[in-house]
Amino acid sequence: MKRVACLLTLVALLVVPAAWAQTVVRVQGYGGSDPAIVQRLIDEVIGNDLAAQGISIQYEPIETDYNAVLTNALSAGTAADVFYIPGETAPGIIATGKVLPLNGLVDTSAFIDSLMAVYTIDGNVYGIPKDFNTLAVFYNKDIFDAAGVDYPSADDDWSAFSDKLTAVSMMDPDIHGICLPADFARMGAFAFANGWTPFNADGSADLQDPAFVQAFDFYTGLVTSGAAVQPADVGAGWPGDCLAREQAAVAIEGAWILGFLRDNAPNLQYGSTLLPTSPATGLSGNFIYTVAWGINADSKVQDAATKVLEALTSPTTQQFILEQGLAIPSRKALVDNPYFQQDTPEAQGNLTVFEGATHGNVLGFQFGSVGTDYMTPSNNAMNVVMTGQADSATALAQAQQELTALLQRSQR
Amino acid sequence: MNVRRREVIAAYLFLAPFLVTLAIFFVYATARAVYFSFTDYDLFNAPTWIGLRNYANLFRDDLFLTALRNSLVFAAVVTSVQTFGALVMASVLNQRVRGLNFFRAAFYMPSITSSVVITLIFLWMYQRRGLFNYLLTQLLANLPLIGMFVLVLAAAQVVQVLLERARGLSVRWSDPALLVVSLVVATTGTTALVLLGLVAPRTVAPVDFVWLQTRQEVPGAFPGFLRAPVPLIAIMLQNIFTTVPTFMLMFLAALQGVPSSYYEAASLDGATPVQQFFYITIPAVQPVTFLVVTLGLIGTLQMFDQVAIFGNAVPLRSVITLAYFIYNRMFPGAQLPEVGFASAAAMFLALLTLVIVLLQRLFIRSEGNL
Repeated sequence: MKRVACLLTLVALLVVPAAWAQTVVRVQGYGGSDPAIVQRLIDEVIGNDLAAQGISIQYEPIETDYNAVLTNALSAGTAADVFYIPGETAPGIIATGKVLPLNGLVDTSAFIDSLMAVYTIDGNVYGIPKDFNTLAVFYNKDIFDAAGVDYPSADDDWSAFSDKLTAVSMMDPDIHGICLPADFARMGAFAFANGWTPFNADGSADLQDPAFVQAFDFYTGLVTSGAAVQPADVGAGWPGDCLAREQAAVAIEGAWILGFLRDNAPNLQYGSTLLPTSPATGLSGNFIYTVAWGINADSKVQDAATKVLEALTSPTTQQFILEQGLAIPSRKALVDNPYFQQDTPEAQGNLTVFEGATHGNVLGFQFGSVGTDYMTPSNNAMNVVMTGQADSATALAQAQQELTALLQRSQR
Repeated sequence: MNVRRREVIAAYLFLAPFLVTLAIFFVYATARAVYFSFTDYDLFNAPTWIGLRNYANLFRDDLFLTALRNSLVFAAVVTSVQTFGALVMASVLNQRVRGLNFFRAAFYMPSITSSVVITLIFLWMYQRRGLFNYLLTQLLANLPLIGMFVLVLAAAQVVQVLLERARGLSVRWSDPALLVVSLVVATTGTTALVLLGLVAPRTVAPVDFVWLQTRQEVPGAFPGFLRAPVPLIAIMLQNIFTTVPTFMLMFLAALQGVPSSYYEAASLDGATPVQQFFYITIPAVQPVTFLVVTLGLIGTLQMFDQVAIFGNAVPLRSVITLAYFIYNRMFPGAQLPEVGFASAAAMFLALLTLVIVLLQRLFIRSEGNL
């Protein structure tokens, strides 16, 4: 009896410290499909290595307004040790002073420079991009074949692109050339192609710049001329829906459309190409959408958190994410990955999106301290013009007035 | 004395859970918000006292003034329509008609459905190719049929009433028995005309009214502070649809307490149902009307959820209310929260609600006067 007790004590002494040594690192990110992806990462790629170092990850998805929840949590001291920093809200999150500068902690040279720029303020790096996206043209090959029209190509300028869409939309009243939302997050890429930038050197913004107006008129003109349709007008939630249901021949979206098409239109024959070029500059434009991992400056387990961050952005992790078709990696070295050479529409789509980051005038999806509020005046103007309620000059004058007020307010 | 003390202690013990919650989540939170409203505070840096500057800045903020206008218009329109609608519905449902319980349950459905779900459904119905525009198109297309139906109905009714009166019987123009006959005549008459091809639905272009993505304000002839943006009207319609049944239930309860002898006496004296409604029903339910208007005003002035769900589907300026303005300033784009400014707006909303509720006491007394 005594020996049994001794044995038990011995076992307890051996086992319990091992359990104590496990440092739990809390990780916060989006909800939706992200918890499943992170769980697979932990189970299949990084979990064992981290466990060997005595670290375990606890993923806490935020299903509602991420920015509001994270701001509150950072203020209250309840935020996770490692969390997502979306590019468009990064200035606000970093301004809280609760994000740990990573200079000297993490090697940042291996990541794509334009992505790092989004998270670098005054020479300090606050986040390591986990992946990124750009826009590409996704088209339904069958519809183009049936209409006898050439597929969209990277050589198209806006008018060639628009001619192809018009030709396709002539075939059948229920099939539109392209599905276009009234969204600056799409239209802005066309303005970038013209050399326009969201902010002037003095921090003001000019929506009445001819470069912007021309892109605006081209984009909204596709809808008013009948070559394009707004998703809501065919009962679709977004352009990916239009493409999957064959209501439109083309959608301009990012790589997020690939998984959607895989699930919702498995038999769709589709291709992808770069955005058309501006006739004025001969260049295309594009947005870079990105999300980074950052570390809580108040974290009590910063060393472990740094290890987790490194694991989450390691080459093996990014290889896994890429090969599973989940996202596009942010490491420069993965350009030559054999995955991109595969001849499937999905791999080719990912390659197009990957190439989009280095073609023409590419800017980050980030609008200083006003965040995505920047887009609202332009979105409203697009809607008003697309629905025929006003002409573009009136709509843009109104949008300019609202945007100026918004920018002045944020600088106060 | 001892017993009495023990009773007091027992009472406080029972009250304790509520008092503690109230103290922490209401009194303490409100006091903090009042303090923050006089400071410049962003959640991360220590608050600095700036006196009344936040309140002064409120009235320099264009978006705040728009939100104030929207909130007031919204409260005025929704509260009056829902109060009147609820009262009318309650007095209809107070009658002895067959299947009453079914109607009561059916009318109450919108109120027990989640507001989020209803808002999402309404968002679809308000699309340019949505249900509302479809119904309007159908209405316009079938206008000749409807017009013919109404004409035949009126003619049949007039002829019958005149015939009855010629026989020396006193009948009202709206006599229900004759109306049934007229309805049958109108239905068969219109059907016959359609079959003969004399009347046909028109072909009209589909109604393309933009409910949501528009800056249009109506009525255009009114000065700016009296106009309502179309998307806000869309929210008003939805809000009225969901709140009328709740208030109807309150009126229904009040009407059960009105002696039916009043109505019997009135009809013996020759009062029409409309006269009975205005001279008996409305005065009899006065205390409940006070309650309904008060609850309605508080609810509408603080309306937030529907604006939040309509979100990007509508231009912010057209639907922003004071409650949403506060949220918007609390979690702005990509900058630090303006807690001080948002608190000042919250205090203003609280005071405004209080003042308006006190003002309406002057117009609707909380005691009955029948």
